[in-house]
Order: sequence, then structure tokens, then C-alpha cells
Amino acid sequence: MRAPSFSLRRAAMIFATPLALTALLAACGDSGSGSQVVVPAPLPSGTGTATPTPTPTAVSYNVDNCFTQTVQGQTGVTATLQSQIIPDTLKLDITRSTRFPNGRHPADPVVDILLAELFLDMTVTGQGPNTFANIPLNPPTNDKPFSLTFPFLATPNGSPAVASGTGSGFNFRTDADSAYVSVDRMGNPAIATALVGSSTKNSYNDATPADDATNNKYLAEYKNELHKFFDLIGDDLTNLGLKICARTS
Amino acid sequence: MRSFFRTVGARGLAAGAACAALSGLLLLPADVAESADHLDPPTRTDAGFDTTPDIPADIADVFAWHSNGTTKIAMTFAGPVATTAPTYYDRDVLYKINVSTQAPGTSPEFVIKFRFGKGQGPNDWGVRIEGLPGVTGTLEGPVETTLTANGVKARVGLYDEPFFFDLIGFRETRSFGTIRIRNDRNFFDGQNDTALVLEIPDTNLGTIGSNLDVWGQTLRFGGNL
Repeated sequence: MRAPSFSLRRAAMIFATPLALTALLAACGDSGSGSQVVVPAPLPSGTGTATPTPTPTAVSYNVDNCFTQTVQGQTGVTATLQSQIIPDTLKLDITRSTRFPNGRHPADPVVDILLAELFLDMTVTGQGPNTFANIPLNPPTNDKPFSLTFPFLATPNGSPAVASGTGSGFNFRTDADSAYVSVDRMGNPAIATALVGSSTKNSYNDATPADDATNNKYLAEYKNELHKFFDLIGDDLTNLGLKICARTS
Repeated sequence: MRSFFRTVGARGLAAGAACAALSGLLLLPADVAESADHLDPPTRTDAGFDTTPDIPADIADVFAWHSNGTTKIAMTFAGPVATTAPTYYDRDVLYKINVSTQAPGTSPEFVIKFRFGKGQGPNDWGVRIEGLPGVTGTLEGPVETTLTANGVKARVGLYDEPFFFDLIGFRETRSFGTIRIRNDRNFFDGQNDTALVLEIPDTNLGTIGSNLDVWGQTLRFGGNL
């Protein structure tokens, strides 16, 4: 891996010019036209092209610091990525304004925030949870505005099939919980999808937050998956002038 | 404002190198940031891995936020789907929203359970909600209507998919090795989810410790599909 090609101060300058970086993203694209694209219905993820094997890197990453560094925006002076995602629950201090990772409002750009938390050194001036969101890297807002009043979410698209909104005498199951089998669980966005490997996904979704907290059950799994990401992109982030949270040797 | 290219170029970082670096950022393994929780776990909910994907039990997102004396919680599921999709109310799925108000955050003070039941009309579906904070007994009524009890509001219905992310660009970048991600393209644009939405007054939650812990769970009667 090469040393950063420009200083972190310069990186801070870059992230102070979000429009310029937006232009960069457009320039890097295929056409750079900036036009909105109507996307097809979602494809099952299994139909996607296989991810290329990461190019081996001579750098060895230690991601421990990424989980233990202080992360702004959470409750408590010692809040870290680890305390945010173990247990895997959304944590909301109601005495403070909501913005992920303090709770999650539908409008929060959680992917860009989470990418920053996973990859960036939060002690560097100009870097923080909102570094990527300030560019922005991904679309910064939903396609339809959210309502300030209940039920907050936007009305459905098109003219879809919807229930009548009327009726009575509904036929509900009354079986005990023991008659049901776990399918899915979720606390934090993208943790189960990003930091849990395929072989562990079912057991992870069957587990509980209490399981998460017992001897940090999935911390090694999280670290292993994040390490893979650093092997793939750690040098790219560094070459962009960003200070990564992983330590190298 | 100086352009990014002039700023960086003057310092020796070519635009192409910057593109390559950003491209690398997007060349993440298959699942990273691919979704919030949509189609996960894949062998139960993703048609690419499961011939009988459990769409109704597939959690898409969980949200929890607070303002003006109430906590709002939403859990989306069965999405994103096209506007031509059928409704996904399933009598055999149990939905839970767990809320812990006191340490440890792993043990919920409130387990809010949602079940769906078919009504008499061809398109009548109802929801029964148990465990609402400050509400004795169950709250029951048709979906697509706002139900209220002791200050709590609850509604289940079809909504615009609230998640936003350029999944197309992510996958194209993976496939072609050329950056395609855009911040003006949202894969989830124009699609829908079903959602459970709650608004709960602070007084109904009782004394709250340092923070609320919130998580969602789905379970299927009799086992996975």
C-alpha cells in the first residue's frame, strides 16, 4: 500500500466541497449525464453477478480500533461502534434529537453514516459519521417526502392492491408463541447483511439481543467480515486521503 | 468554488485515481450495505437462494425516533415490491416489536405483537395488536386504518418503500469493475413495502433509563416455509 497521496487536511477540504465530490461521482460514472434512472423491480440478490475476488494486498489490517473508537452521535461518553451494534438493537436516547445512530428516523442517510462508522478514523479532524453523507455518496433522501404527522411514511406508489380498510370478525391465530419459529430479526440497519457471513446468517437471525451480549457472541464474526472489506478497499480509502480506523502493519 | 479536480489535481491526485478509489469503495462484497435487512437471511427470504421465500416475514427496516413527547416506531416488511404486487398480510406470521426501557437493553419491558386475520370481504384484513404500552388488552381493527387506544396510535398498511440506496450502481460496479454508483439513483424508488407504525406517548413507556432499545422479529407458525 502506498502512503496517502495528499494530506488529511486536504481531505477535510474535499469534504467541505460536497458539490465538487458530487461532480466527481458523476464524472466517474458511465455517462455522467446525471439523469434519474427508472429501475426495474428488485432482483433477488442471488441473481446478481458474483463479487470479484479481492485483489490480495500486502497490507495487514487490524480492525479492533474500528469497534472501540469513540463514535459521535451515540449515548454515553464511551459509545463505540461495538456498543452501538452489540446487542444489535436500535438505541434511542429520547432526551436528544434523533439522528442515526441515536435511533433512526426514516430520512436518515444510514448507509453513508454506517460506511463512515465502519471505515473511518473518528479522531481525525474533518472525519466523522457524516463524512460520506455530506458528499453524499448515495442518494441523500427518499424519493417521496416523509410526513411530519402520523403515520409518517409516504403513500404507496402506483395503484397497488390494498386491503379494503374495513371489515370485522377477523380470523386471527391465537396460538402461543411457542408454536412459531423465528424467521428474521433486525435492530441496526445493515449489520445482519454487512457484518454477518452467509454461514452464520440463519443462526444470527434466530438469536436474541441477549445472545449478542453474552461474551460478545458475534464480535469475532463482525471483525472477520469487516477485515474482508478492508482487504478489498482499505488502500483505496487511504489513497483517497482518508484516515481509516483499521491499523495497518 | 474551486472544482474538486483542480483542487486535487494541483496536489497530485489525478481524477482517475480518485475514481478508482471511489470505485474500490463500491466494490464491496455481495452483502455490504446492499440493503438494510431486505432479503435477509437469504436462505429464508430471497428467491435467489430459496424456492419458497417467506416474503411476508422478511423484515425490511426498523425505525425508532422521538419528538414532541412521543416515540415513533415503524417496521417495514415484504419489500421492496413492485406496484403490481399483491398484499402480503399472512395469518401465519407473528410480528414482534421489542422495546426495552431499562437496562439491560436485551430484555424488553414491552413486547408488542401483531397478527393478521382475514375478514369476511374478499379484501378485508384485520390486525390484532397485543402488548402496547399503556394499553390494557388488545387493539384490533382493519388494516389501512388508524387505530387508537389510551394515546397510542397504530396503523398497518402499504407505503412507499422508505429506504434509499443506489443498489443498481453497486451491482453494476461489481459486475463491470467501473464505477456506476450515483447519488441521484435510488434502487428503491417507486416501490412499496408493508409497514407497522406506532406512535407512543412518553407517559405510556414509564420511566426510561439511558435509552430505549428497539428491535423487530418475525416468526412463522409451524416452521419456516
